[in-house]
Amino acid sequence: MLGKLLKHEFRATGRTMLPLYGAVVVLAVLANVSIRMLSGNVGPLLSIFFGLIVAAFGICVVAAGVMTIVLMVKRFYTNYLKDEGYLMHTLPVSVHALVWSKMIVSIVWFAATFAVIGLVLLLTALIQTDTSLAQFFAGFPSWAEIRAVLAREGVRMGDLWLIALELLIAAIVGGLYTCLHFYAAMSLGHMFAKDKILLSIVFFVGISFVLSFATTGYSAGRLVSMESISATLDTARQTLRFVQGIIAEAVLVELLESAVLYLATVLSLKKGLNLA
Amino acid sequence: MAILECRALSKRFGKVQALDSVSLKIEPGRVIGLLGPNGSGKTTLIKLANGLLTPTAGEILVDGRAPGKESKALVSYLSDKEYLPEWMTAKQLMDFFADFYADFDRERAAEMLTRLGIDETMRVKQMSKGTREKVQLILVMSRQAKLYLLDEPIGGVDPATRDYILDTIIRNYNPSAAVVISTHLIADVEQVLDEVIFIQNGRVLLQSSVDEIREEKGKSVDQYFREVFKC
Amino acid sequence: MEWVFRSELPIYSQLVEKIKLGIVSGALPPGTRLASVRELAAEAGVNPNTMQRALQELEREGLVFSQRTAGRFVTEDVSVIDTVKRDLARQQLERFRKAMGELGYDREGIMALLKEEE
Repeated sequence: MLGKLLKHEFRATGRTMLPLYGAVVVLAVLANVSIRMLSGNVGPLLSIFFGLIVAAFGICVVAAGVMTIVLMVKRFYTNYLKDEGYLMHTLPVSVHALVWSKMIVSIVWFAATFAVIGLVLLLTALIQTDTSLAQFFAGFPSWAEIRAVLAREGVRMGDLWLIALELLIAAIVGGLYTCLHFYAAMSLGHMFAKDKILLSIVFFVGISFVLSFATTGYSAGRLVSMESISATLDTARQTLRFVQGIIAEAVLVELLESAVLYLATVLSLKKGLNLA
Repeated sequence: MAILECRALSKRFGKVQALDSVSLKIEPGRVIGLLGPNGSGKTTLIKLANGLLTPTAGEILVDGRAPGKESKALVSYLSDKEYLPEWMTAKQLMDFFADFYADFDRERAAEMLTRLGIDETMRVKQMSKGTREKVQLILVMSRQAKLYLLDEPIGGVDPATRDYILDTIIRNYNPSAAVVISTHLIADVEQVLDEVIFIQNGRVLLQSSVDEIREEKGKSVDQYFREVFKC
Repeated sequence: MEWVFRSELPIYSQLVEKIKLGIVSGALPPGTRLASVRELAAEAGVNPNTMQRALQELEREGLVFSQRTAGRFVTEDVSVIDTVKRDLARQQLERFRKAMGELGYDREGIMALLKEEE
């Protein structure tokens, strides 16, 4: 049933996100033309016009980013905690499937937004600096050069891949954590009969406070021991290993916190659902 | 076996005792009226059966199981709220129901929509309140469920729609399924009911067959209800 | 048939009366196949179980018979229908005589009045 929930959720959110990406791309094209025009000889009225298009592009890029988060929150809220909840919570699916479907779709949109904005900004930078793709890639070291450096420092290629993988996992866990922070706060707040939204905000701030306190406390403790370790790092390989360890540990801590938030979300939906 | 059973079921919201030790059984093949004034606990009972609420004490069983994923596949529920997503078309809603409910009869739903002159490509947002209620009812009644829980299906609809709803319930009759209709408009539904359950302040006052009440009291259930719940 | 129900009597017994009247009046001639329980219930706007109970009562009285596969039919035995018709007529007569009695008419008075009206 998770598959069907995902299908439905993509259908429901795609209506918003895809046109938004379309707008970003169209405005990117227009903005690039406008910037070109502005550097030429244009009258004051036209420069205002082109200026506005460039501004609109900037706003649209920001809006796409903001909207991705807003949609994540809004879908959970309207679909599970308002009247549509009467439909969704009486489907023959588990609460786990309900929560995961929203989380997975949100993370896919996080990634898509990141990719679209990143690509559009990169292309804009290339176009405006008259850099061709070949020139751009020529700026990077070749594989052979990278290998040579790695060999000299005694670092294996696998170590780099491991860090890349860790960063990818960190990004996904970060996405999960962001979703669950909102989900848990809203689910907890909506267990009550009155002031559901106010209480959701209170829970959101409360969760931020408690978890950042716990994280800071833990990190401070670890920092002391890490400092002593970092003093002993001689080779690049050791440093790399050390960084890998730090990332892994940070991801694990965030994963643990996410698990707590997930539990809070599922339990409040299962035992404390109280649709108005 | 009873399709719905409550054993000393209680639900409390803060200081309010919405249901107080309710015990009852609903057998398949019956059309049952859940009757009581506003705020008597009708909706709370139905929400508990749907797993939308969790009991404070006692238990509620649907086909012998506590409400959950499995029981939800057997229950077709019409809420008194407008719960259809506004952006969806009637066709998308049929896709949705067909996806999640194995017992959804898509052809039947499409036929009912056509008969009521509702365009499949119409979005919920564009529909009038009456049309939305009809679409909700069509979706709910197009399932071959074992238990139908209809919360105030005739509250606030015009007489023609009310007749259509009641006619749909009769035509959909299935000896292995039970239909529970919660309402405070008894005169309108009395004829289609087998049994009635009177509920007041979270307690069950009586569960009896409609004709038994008429036979013993010499008055309609509606008249008897007015007598019992006299202000 | 017009389906209107009075409030003080059980619905099933009112259904029995209505269908009986249909049979003796000839609206449902002998041998007529009746619609399904569900269809009849929908037409009358009543619960199918109640309609079922009414039909069973009519079967018990011999006005209706069912064939396992073909459905339910009005009896072809005209004598049964006549008997029921007579019973109903007698009931009406009894009611009428009682009401007239309360107005002070005896048998002769009623007959005289009937002749006068013609």
